[in-house]
Amino acid sequence: MNKPVLLNSVDHKDLKIITERSEKYGDNLWYTVTFPAEFRSVQAHYPIFFQKDTNTGQFYSIAMFGFQHKENLFLQDGKWQAAYIPLTVRRQPFLIGQQTVQEDGVEQIQRVIHLDPNHPRINEDQGEPLFFPYGGNTPYLDEVGDMLETIHHGLIDSKNFIDTLIKLELLESFTLDIELDNGEKHQMIGFYTINEETLAALPAETLAQLHQQGYLNAIYMTLASQSNIRQLLNFKNAQ
Amino acid sequence: MAQAIQNIIIVGGGTAGWLTAGILAAEHNADNGKLSPSPKLNITLIESPDVPTIGVGEGTWPSMRTTLKNIGISETEFLLSCDASFKQGSRFINWTHAQKANGNSAEHYLHPFSLPIGTNELDLCPHWLAHREQVSFADAVGQQNQLSQLSLAPKQITTGEYQFQNNYGYHLNAGKFSQLLQQHCTEKLGVTHIQDHVTAIHKNDSGDISHLSTKQSGELSADFFVDCTGVKSLILGEQLNVPFICQKSVLFNDSALAVQVPYPSADTEIASCTHSTAQSNGWIWDIGLPTRRGVGHVYSSSHTDQAQAEQQLVEYLKPTVNIDVDNLEIRKLSIAPGHRQVCWKNNCMAVGMASGFIEPLEASALALVEWSANTLAQQLPANRQVMDIVSARVNKRFNQHWQQIIEFLKLHYVLSKRSDSDYWHDHRESCSIPESLQQQLKLWRTQAPSKHDIQHTDALFPAASFQFVLYGMGFQTLLPSQLKPSLQNRAQQLFTENIKRTQGLQQLLPTNRELLAKIAQYGLPKI
Repeated sequence: MNKPVLLNSVDHKDLKIITERSEKYGDNLWYTVTFPAEFRSVQAHYPIFFQKDTNTGQFYSIAMFGFQHKENLFLQDGKWQAAYIPLTVRRQPFLIGQQTVQEDGVEQIQRVIHLDPNHPRINEDQGEPLFFPYGGNTPYLDEVGDMLETIHHGLIDSKNFIDTLIKLELLESFTLDIELDNGEKHQMIGFYTINEETLAALPAETLAQLHQQGYLNAIYMTLASQSNIRQLLNFKNAQ
Repeated sequence: MAQAIQNIIIVGGGTAGWLTAGILAAEHNADNGKLSPSPKLNITLIESPDVPTIGVGEGTWPSMRTTLKNIGISETEFLLSCDASFKQGSRFINWTHAQKANGNSAEHYLHPFSLPIGTNELDLCPHWLAHREQVSFADAVGQQNQLSQLSLAPKQITTGEYQFQNNYGYHLNAGKFSQLLQQHCTEKLGVTHIQDHVTAIHKNDSGDISHLSTKQSGELSADFFVDCTGVKSLILGEQLNVPFICQKSVLFNDSALAVQVPYPSADTEIASCTHSTAQSNGWIWDIGLPTRRGVGHVYSSSHTDQAQAEQQLVEYLKPTVNIDVDNLEIRKLSIAPGHRQVCWKNNCMAVGMASGFIEPLEASALALVEWSANTLAQQLPANRQVMDIVSARVNKRFNQHWQQIIEFLKLHYVLSKRSDSDYWHDHRESCSIPESLQQQLKLWRTQAPSKHDIQHTDALFPAASFQFVLYGMGFQTLLPSQLKPSLQNRAQQLFTENIKRTQGLQQLLPTNRELLAKIAQYGLPKI
């Protein structure tokens, strides 16, 4: 990826963003980062697991789209076959950035929208415009701003959620062995999920605390999401 | 009814004392590192505020990972608070031949911590012998010789605490390690810490230790005493009169000069193994911590004097430091090579230097501390009446361990072809070589060391250690007369797999410094 640039209405006034879903726009993703705030929507379609960032060793949660690198089984015939697409996919080609501003002489950190200038979705002919011809953000751009805000807060909450899972020893690694109808076998390693035995043995006061934080909900959403592996398998077998 | 063993006093702090306290408490008073509501033992550690600890032992074995995990210390916390780094073995430099003054490159070999690939399946050593001209034993059966020369870490930032890609122990700051253990033992594991001077040690009529007199804390009695008083061996040696068995006739080194030196720059790589470079009358250890190096010259005072030893140490340091080597603060240490006849007598067990010490050639000191403390923790007799049964078998094992350590260390000298001093000649005099080692060497000329050469299952050094040293030093063993083709095929597969793994890990692994920086920023994942 190229160095992101700060979005502005001068340099970027004529840009449009292609919102179509396709491999050529980078949608051939095996999985993407997700967070508890969107678990309810995500678990309706995708299995949710946990994984470590190879660069930091820190856990994050993911929504899974396939069984191997660059395989997104939801991408079919130029369409994404699910009613909900996780925000970290939909945000492309935008990123959240930070800049320091002086406000009444006090230095403040402000969140701003950054843009990956070489992203294939960016062009001047087709897709969603960012700015109106005579100035002002389009509703699309406002939506992007909201999305990035949601992601920002969602990831902070996600870290807290996962720290809680680790502290309670609720995360366990697992190996996903799948066998396709044609006899082909895949093994996926490096993923983690909720340890149901440990969960079942948690004392009432710990459960109450998890509930207050909204994490009990997220835990059960994660568990429920596992049934979506079946859907992934069906897609794969149908190929 | 016989009185249960409930009250234990450990005399002496330092790494030995605090490791013993931690291991005892973790075994009897805690579960998963958390203190039980009704601890079984009362563990007290008394140390004199006036007696400084030696604080040199800076290398551990992989067993320390298990020990720390059992005690309940987070690896991230340990690494950061003890200035620790990863140790994947020991590299022996110029041990076979002395380096010529005209500057031919140094010869070296690694004794790595990872066992040869496929160890659980078959012994690759006989299969390697036919290829000895093409590839070193360490490179044929493992990855650490290559990886450690690149200063690569044994794991990644995604590898959970205490887990690994390649087996490792640690290099650490011994003083900080004692502090961490002390803090953990007193705050988390309920160990009572008394800072006071022991003025007298008392025995009862049966010859057992009954109590201690102290300067300020009165009389302290206990059912069992652990002697961690260092070389003075105040209880086991002085009170219980257990004789000291001197081993200087086998391993001559009795002196050491230790120094700490800074890195030339903040991004100098941190070595992945202990470097041990042979000298004319001893050898120099070189241990890389994240913050500094610890270097020392171990030598035989019967063969050289302090001035010459110091000169050699300075010469060794010169090319790798950018400080004034003439004004180094060099500490002189004396080593009495040997051990007590037994480590456990009556109701007292000695742990650490109180039970014995030998030159740190294979960093066995802390490993023996762990063995002693684990043995005591796991075999602690229920009462005094059955104690002698346990101590008899512990003492037997203690002596087996010492015999193995001495013979294994001696092996490094016996195999040397150096002829630059009497020191090396004397080491090869048969009167200095234990009889059983001489016999083993005779056997190994016809067959590679195997598990059948190892006396018992929990020996400190496995057959692989003997293989790494023998073949690292160019020892010649006859080629096996027969190898089953099916096993040969499997051996070839393993050799190929090892090459692939070495290349793969070379791409994957960060350097020690990179990994430690990431650990400081993010911590290692718990799982």
